[in-house]
Amino acid sequence: MDKLTRREFLRLSALTAGATVLAACAPQPAPTTAPTALPAATKAAATAAPTTAAATVAPTTAPAAAYPIVKEPLTLTYWVPATPNVMATLKTFGEMTCYKELEKKTGIRLEFQHPPMGQDTEQFNLVVASGKFPDIIERDWTTAPGGPAKYIKDGIILRLNDLIKQHAPNLNKVLADRPEWKRMIATDEGDIYCFPFLRSDPYLQTFAGLTLRGDWLDKLGLKVPTTIDEWRDVLVAFKTKDPNGNGKADEIGFNPWKDNSARGSFNMYAFVGAWGIGMNWFQDKGVVKYGPLQPEFKEFLKVMAQWFKEGLIDPDYITTNLAGLDAKITGNQIGVAMINTGSGIGKYVPLMQPKDPKFKLTAAPYPVLKAGDKPQLGQRDNAYAGQGSAAITTANKRVVETVKLLDYAYGAEGHILFNFGVEGLTYKMENGYPRYTDEITKNPQKLPMNQAMGKHFRSVFNGPFLQDRRYMEQYSALPEQQEAIKTWMQPSNEKQLPPITPTQEESRKFSTIMAEVTTRYDEAFNKILQGQLPIDAWDQFAKDIKQMGIDDAIKIQQAALDRYNKRP
Amino acid sequence: MPIKRSRSEKIFYGVIILLMIALMIVTAYPLLYVLFASFSNPVELMSNRGILTAPLGFSLAAYEAVMQNPMITIGYRNTLFYVIAGTSISLVLTIMGAYALSRKNVLWRNPIMFAIVFTMFFHGGMIPSYLLVGQTLGLQDSPLALIIPGAISTWNLIILKTAFESVPIALEEAARIDGANDFQILWNVCIPISLPAIAVITLFYAVAEWNAWFGAMLYLRNRELYPLQIVLREILITNSTEAMTTGVSSGDVLPIAETIKYATIVVATVPILFVYPFLQKYFVKGVMIGAIKE
Amino acid sequence: MATAQRVRSSVAAQSQLNFRQRLVKDFVRNRYIYLMLVPVVAYYVVFHYGPMYGALMAFQDFNVTKGIWGSPWIGFENFTTFFNSVYFTRLIRNTLAINIIELFFAFPAPIILALLLNEITSPAFKRTVQTITYLPHFVSLVVVIGMMVDFLARDGLVNNLIGAVGVAPIPFLQRADWYWWLFVGSGIWQGIGWGSIVYLAAITNIDPTLYEAATVDGANRWHQLRHITIPSIMPTIIIFLILRIGSMMSVGYEKTILMYNSMTYETADVINSYVYRKGVLNADYGFSAAVGLFNSVINFGLLLIANRLSKRVSEMGLF
Repeated sequence: MDKLTRREFLRLSALTAGATVLAACAPQPAPTTAPTALPAATKAAATAAPTTAAATVAPTTAPAAAYPIVKEPLTLTYWVPATPNVMATLKTFGEMTCYKELEKKTGIRLEFQHPPMGQDTEQFNLVVASGKFPDIIERDWTTAPGGPAKYIKDGIILRLNDLIKQHAPNLNKVLADRPEWKRMIATDEGDIYCFPFLRSDPYLQTFAGLTLRGDWLDKLGLKVPTTIDEWRDVLVAFKTKDPNGNGKADEIGFNPWKDNSARGSFNMYAFVGAWGIGMNWFQDKGVVKYGPLQPEFKEFLKVMAQWFKEGLIDPDYITTNLAGLDAKITGNQIGVAMINTGSGIGKYVPLMQPKDPKFKLTAAPYPVLKAGDKPQLGQRDNAYAGQGSAAITTANKRVVETVKLLDYAYGAEGHILFNFGVEGLTYKMENGYPRYTDEITKNPQKLPMNQAMGKHFRSVFNGPFLQDRRYMEQYSALPEQQEAIKTWMQPSNEKQLPPITPTQEESRKFSTIMAEVTTRYDEAFNKILQGQLPIDAWDQFAKDIKQMGIDDAIKIQQAALDRYNKRP
Repeated sequence: MPIKRSRSEKIFYGVIILLMIALMIVTAYPLLYVLFASFSNPVELMSNRGILTAPLGFSLAAYEAVMQNPMITIGYRNTLFYVIAGTSISLVLTIMGAYALSRKNVLWRNPIMFAIVFTMFFHGGMIPSYLLVGQTLGLQDSPLALIIPGAISTWNLIILKTAFESVPIALEEAARIDGANDFQILWNVCIPISLPAIAVITLFYAVAEWNAWFGAMLYLRNRELYPLQIVLREILITNSTEAMTTGVSSGDVLPIAETIKYATIVVATVPILFVYPFLQKYFVKGVMIGAIKE
Repeated sequence: MATAQRVRSSVAAQSQLNFRQRLVKDFVRNRYIYLMLVPVVAYYVVFHYGPMYGALMAFQDFNVTKGIWGSPWIGFENFTTFFNSVYFTRLIRNTLAINIIELFFAFPAPIILALLLNEITSPAFKRTVQTITYLPHFVSLVVVIGMMVDFLARDGLVNNLIGAVGVAPIPFLQRADWYWWLFVGSGIWQGIGWGSIVYLAAITNIDPTLYEAATVDGANRWHQLRHITIPSIMPTIIIFLILRIGSMMSVGYEKTILMYNSMTYETADVINSYVYRKGVLNADYGFSAAVGLFNSVINFGLLLIANRLSKRVSEMGLF
């Protein structure tokens, strides 16, 4: 009873809301092709929008699609983890503008099932265990226990290759244009398992990097450091020359905290990248390497231990948490940290500048050893990082319609809908550039931009569509943010691994070995860095992890990379 | 109670008072910290480290964010229902079970008790429980799924059983001579005498039901049935910056992540705290036995 | 004591009858009691014994897509993986160490609090103490640990206080030698008031005429405490002690993973946090189940021993 009336209510409200939307955009028909050239737009755009749009991949509609997909009403169930951006204001994705529009366009209604936030993995396992699947499951399939191939093999989700070829002209075209993406979203056997979330541009894949207090640099007359030696000089100056001007030597050079990881920002190539290695797995022209076993690693660790000894690294970094980092940054104590474009720069700058107009955060390029070298490694996600990818389950009785429905987002209209929403309501076309309206940028209910976006469309998080660069240009609109992305995008990152997957048998062995290795690694790394163990203890550590079977783990990774490179 | 004390007793008493005051300070301060922090200006709180003696600035932003959430009233309403219904069912079952297992001349008592304690140690885990309750019994998306599977806490059963066992045997025998059956003895003798213990397990059940979220995670897909704790967890995640740092999205996050953490504790705790004073009167010493005996 | 004797003599009388006759007699005499037990037993059978087949996962390479009946059987491999871990000895050592410290300090703390509260004559003061000390139970672990990090930081409250008397700052949470004590201490802080409620209720149940008689006999407070209060709540204490001994292999993973870091792994890493890192994060249910089973067997064995000892010494026990 309760459920029925609620459903009725939702449908009703969807209808009325849809009617308003329809009225709003009636005079201007939705654009059929996405523009590929950027206009010289307003002054705001000049800072926000980078110079070229060549990299922006916006698909054009392939001819075969016809809408609506169904004549009779059709409802499909859709399991997808809830996300903060949406759930701050809505109860389900079904209330989002883009899905209401999608229903109008295709005739297919989606009934969303969301696990409680933070419980995605458990609930997913229960759904699988129950044997009663929804029609569509969206999640990060690369992290699903056992890997995506297993779920095709065990009869839970469908192999999509032929279905996409026959019924998904838009996605088909995208994949034909970019074969490297096709390789990423397939298993080693070449089976495509999902409608992927794709970030077409390094601009969208880069979101974190080393950041300095630019105002401290200015005050001390220093320039942005590039080499490890220059970094040391800057850190020494920060520590000794009282850049915060309170007369006390309370400044801390560098705090390596990042996302509560035991190896902090080093794990995202901070400093260690200068030696051309990573903290974990990377490749050198097709050969898999494990960072801590490289000869360069000891050199890197020696320098860090030296910095720690000289007091250039926060002695309490191990017990730092996000609140602690916030306190030390806004309390003018930390000179250098690795932070994100949005939740870092986007948080501190608006917070601090009103109090202290000189407050400035300056993004630094990833360090190198020799002046003039190009940074090799830095944080960058793969174009397909796994999240937000929709698979069709074996329980689905209307597979063709589902494929057509999911394909819509990869066409020109769907692309705009999922990235920018509805013309007139959430964006306006200005010379072919979809500019967000005040509903998004200065929301009347005072919602922060990410929540205002989350009410209407999915570009602010992820989902089965192509993310558009022009979303990020407007979202990370602070000049510091634009500058940071450009700076952090520099590394070529050829050494990063593509999204490889071990086989099911390998994966069990691999995780058993790595669970042992990781604990010892965290301990040894931090104890040596903090001087509790001498640098030579690293050799013992290398011996220890050999005994734990690291060589087998390397073989497993190598085999996985070889299979990846052979993917069709 | 006679009040006259010797000198050493007075010193003893004084020491206890001092100890208790020290304990109160140690336990109260962190809670005041939570309270102060929840009302603080988020920006000022962010750069503060160390002790708080009053809210830093004053802001209701965190509470507004909590109260604006579309799910918050639903959460309160559902949890209230789960607490009342769940605690009632739990009490009935536990009282019957504890009484039965406290009788010494019952042949099957020890084997049953053994089998019950066994379940404190051995269990099938999450997935079989889910398949049983959610699928076989068909309780998925039913409020019963949050009430029935945890209806008896073995721990509470043991507490009450121990209390029933300490009921003076003379009272029970007197009632039996008067022709009372077991239901009457339970109702007229054991329950009145053991009210303090029943108050304790009522509190334990109510608080456990109030704090429960795992059952909701397992069995609920329908968000309209979410209990408060799940709603609050979601509010926390919605407003935490950490949730967004590793993700794709990089957002202009409100700086209320810290204050909201404290506000949710206040919102989640204050209502259940009111249960305690109601139950506290049952801890007044010696009322029960005296009343029965006369 | 009289009760125990009576029970024993009636048991002796019954043993004259044969088993079936005893069963029938018992069911007739205790029909209402068995009626009361029906829903309780049904509950345990359905909700606890029903899903218990899940423990078989411990012997499987469990796979959600195939379920219990389809996953491959691997014998004791999950167990040997655990026993062969390089961390095995230190996990056992840390788990036991924390539990033993808790047994000696955290277990008696609420009992002592209840006894002291009982000595307070002012009801208002007593209620205030009770209400305030039980509050920390409601603060979530994340916040408790967050406050510990703040207060115990190099420039935090505690170091400021000990700095005032000239002690050099101690980075408490980075020191392996402090970990056990901080873990148990914070647990006492959080649980002392809540834990004392059960004992307070037991004290409330004591027959006041016992005290009156003792006062007439000239017993002082101390004598009353020793000879009336403590013996009267002894059954409760013993039951809880037996149950506590039955959890010697368990240390909550949630608090551990919030509180430890790579500088304190040496003393902080316990069985459950290891399982969390290895089993839960990798969704390796078989492994988690195996370690869980290993813990349960030891815990249950300890409980049986404690129960047996207690029955011999004090004639009190769980069953």
